[in-house]
Amino acid sequence: MKIKSVTDLVAKKKVGLQKILPGKPRIAVGLATCGIAVGGDRVYERLKEIIDKDRLDITLTKVGCIGYCKEEPLVNITIPGKPLVILHKVDESDAEEIIRSVQNGGVPYDRALCQVPAWDHVTGCVMDYGKGFDRIPLYDNIPFFQHQKKVILRDAGLINPEDIDEYIAIGGYFSAIKALTGMDPDSIIEEVEKSGLRGRGGAGFPTGLKWRITRDVKADKKYIICNADEGDPGAYMNRNEMESDPHMLIEGMIIGAFAMGAAEGLIYIRAEYPLAIKRLTLAIEQAREYGLLGKDIFSTGFLFDIRIATGAGAFVCGESTALVASIEGRTGRPHPRPPRLTDIGGGLFGYPTDLNNVETWCNIPVIISNGSGWYATIGARGNTGTKVFSLVGKVDRVGLVEVPLGTTLSTIVSDIGNGGANNRKVKAVQTGGPSGGCIPFRLFDTPVDFESLNKAGSIMGSGGIVVMDEDTDMVDIARYFINFATGESCGKCVPCREGLKHALLLLNRIMAKKGTKQDLETLALLSDTIVATSLCGLGQTAPNPVLTTLAYFRDEYDALVKP
Amino acid sequence: MTHEEVSSMGTAAKLVTVTINGKKYGADEDEILLSVAVREKIAIPHLCYEASLDPYGACRLCMVEVVRHGKREMVTSCTTRVTDGLEVVTDGPEVVKHRSILFELYLAEAPKSEVIKAMAARYGVTKTRFLKKIDTTDSLGNKCILCGLCVRACNELMGAGAIGFVNRGPYTVVNTPYFEASRDCLGCGACVKVCPTNAVEMEDQKNERIMKSWSNTRVPLAQCDCCGRYYAPKALAATILARVTPSLKEEIARCCPECRGKLIAKKEILAKTGGAR
Repeated sequence: MKIKSVTDLVAKKKVGLQKILPGKPRIAVGLATCGIAVGGDRVYERLKEIIDKDRLDITLTKVGCIGYCKEEPLVNITIPGKPLVILHKVDESDAEEIIRSVQNGGVPYDRALCQVPAWDHVTGCVMDYGKGFDRIPLYDNIPFFQHQKKVILRDAGLINPEDIDEYIAIGGYFSAIKALTGMDPDSIIEEVEKSGLRGRGGAGFPTGLKWRITRDVKADKKYIICNADEGDPGAYMNRNEMESDPHMLIEGMIIGAFAMGAAEGLIYIRAEYPLAIKRLTLAIEQAREYGLLGKDIFSTGFLFDIRIATGAGAFVCGESTALVASIEGRTGRPHPRPPRLTDIGGGLFGYPTDLNNVETWCNIPVIISNGSGWYATIGARGNTGTKVFSLVGKVDRVGLVEVPLGTTLSTIVSDIGNGGANNRKVKAVQTGGPSGGCIPFRLFDTPVDFESLNKAGSIMGSGGIVVMDEDTDMVDIARYFINFATGESCGKCVPCREGLKHALLLLNRIMAKKGTKQDLETLALLSDTIVATSLCGLGQTAPNPVLTTLAYFRDEYDALVKP
Repeated sequence: MTHEEVSSMGTAAKLVTVTINGKKYGADEDEILLSVAVREKIAIPHLCYEASLDPYGACRLCMVEVVRHGKREMVTSCTTRVTDGLEVVTDGPEVVKHRSILFELYLAEAPKSEVIKAMAARYGVTKTRFLKKIDTTDSLGNKCILCGLCVRACNELMGAGAIGFVNRGPYTVVNTPYFEASRDCLGCGACVKVCPTNAVEMEDQKNERIMKSWSNTRVPLAQCDCCGRYYAPKALAATILARVTPSLKEEIARCCPECRGKLIAKKEILAKTGGAR
């Protein structure tokens, strides 16, 4: 059935709510890649086996990940009238106990992490689960969750990402219908501009402005692209966004396409994300079936469809011009800008193209549903909204963390992450992936926004936060990232191709205690030149780990070199 | 003719004035900055620029400073298009500093290239702090700096696509696919001609041309029907002859350019003199 009107959408919403609150117990297993990696799929299979064998009246379903990776596998249980309960560190041997408890109207208390009496899905739906289970702590009182604000991960871990009805149930696609039937392209772009949303891929370019530039270009055809080539080591925000809530990305792209006048959208996703590709493919098919993609969407005459293009494993293909080259079937090597993607002749197949990161698109539905005014109150001045970070490395509570921009590093690492793993002292964090810098503990009052991170010598990047503790060798960290960047350099321009190679050789020599003070000087000079002269963002930022560790942890270098 | 009509015909570009190192020069609007500098004999080192190809921006040696709103910004002059009032400084301290490091990187990357040594020396760089790359199996004799001119000439100008970049990052080399003799190579030698460091080698041996740098690809040469000389690669001659309209007569087409000239002249004389000696 094609959805043509709000009435149709509301009808689907009822169907979806029936699935989320089926009037009988529902068990949902967190099955994003992270959950599967620690055995979530085995838990799911075992639960299924028991339910099928005894033909129990229990709904079993898959959900994405709520972000608390340290506690996975996570399972959540809804019993009619009672709060949703999140169980943690579940394995298949717990399955029978879970089923037994659920049949008796309870949950296994020793596995309960927290309870959620009500959940605000932001897009106009507050899910009221119920009250009870007083012995189980509230979600809001769990330190990992209490400092977070879920806007992008609003549905992650709570709805079935493989079922469009559940997305519609929590208010999904209502923003799309509002935008397409009640707003004109200019007012949509104005809303995005007023929201202050900045590109979440790392550069922080104002999204509304990019949309306006794309809209204003006169051309027969325009493309929009979602950059899902998330390649930073230790970063998996986009993966979880796509695996846990693929429809929010699709909805964001529908609204963007309408605003910019594009009939075709592409999601450029790395081949290393098979589950995200599978769920997106399914989501696109479901959206087509409901008429949300294709011809005459919501009877407005608007035509738009999305295709998936997979990358072949090159980090540099996250760079806009290399990404376009890769989609076109050419080698993924950047070319100098201008022409920019938005220019005629500069985009995909020569057509003006708007490129936004996964997370940028995911912000669009809430900006439309709740308004730019609401959105602009979140975060800091000039850095509105929330940002998802993957908090990894030597931190106690590993996971995906969503906080308003402007939150300090200390809140993220100490309050949410609970400091170093195994009670070790935290020494530094590396933000922004391989091109980011290392920020020492003494600067942890730095607010995480685009400008403050730059001032500290690092970048926002796509949102990786790698924690280092007192046992971490900072020179080795610098070497690790330079090694990564050297291997991922496309080889086109000399500073990146040759410069990074020699930086790596110098670092190897220093690590082997064969370096001299002279080598350190050469390393610093070389790094400066790579930053100043490289063709694309990869080279221009790759030396950041060296430059920041030289600035903040010079003593560790000095201890390794001969005078 | 109005100004608009002229510009829509693409015949006359707007003239602008640019300031380079304090001196004013006239240029066409949107002209490549480096081409203005080359014309005006202002020394800006460069290795990957070729007027007949699209701007590429890989060698980074042509970086200069552009003054915008009182601030200096480093840009590559081969990808910058001039606008009226553009102010450029080619030898500021920042440029000199970074360029010297780039030259050191080139000296390490192509230690056998005399061209690189001489160019670096002109800019005061005679030694490198970086480990020199010596690969005895390198078919480009440790002279290649991966400017990509040969690859682009082969692909974009000749449409042959016989060579390309292999691997990526510091492992990048130029060669034929799978390092096998190429069936697509026309033997035109454009790669040899455009190479700024004379790294690409080819040799004609009797009836074939050997592209020594490209996996020893052998290209048969065409023999002149008249003088018996081997004058051009067969595939290249066929490609070019196919573009000539109206096509040449068979007997003329099978001759080398010199004999062809003689043959045509002879025929014309014959026609005019009516065959009398």
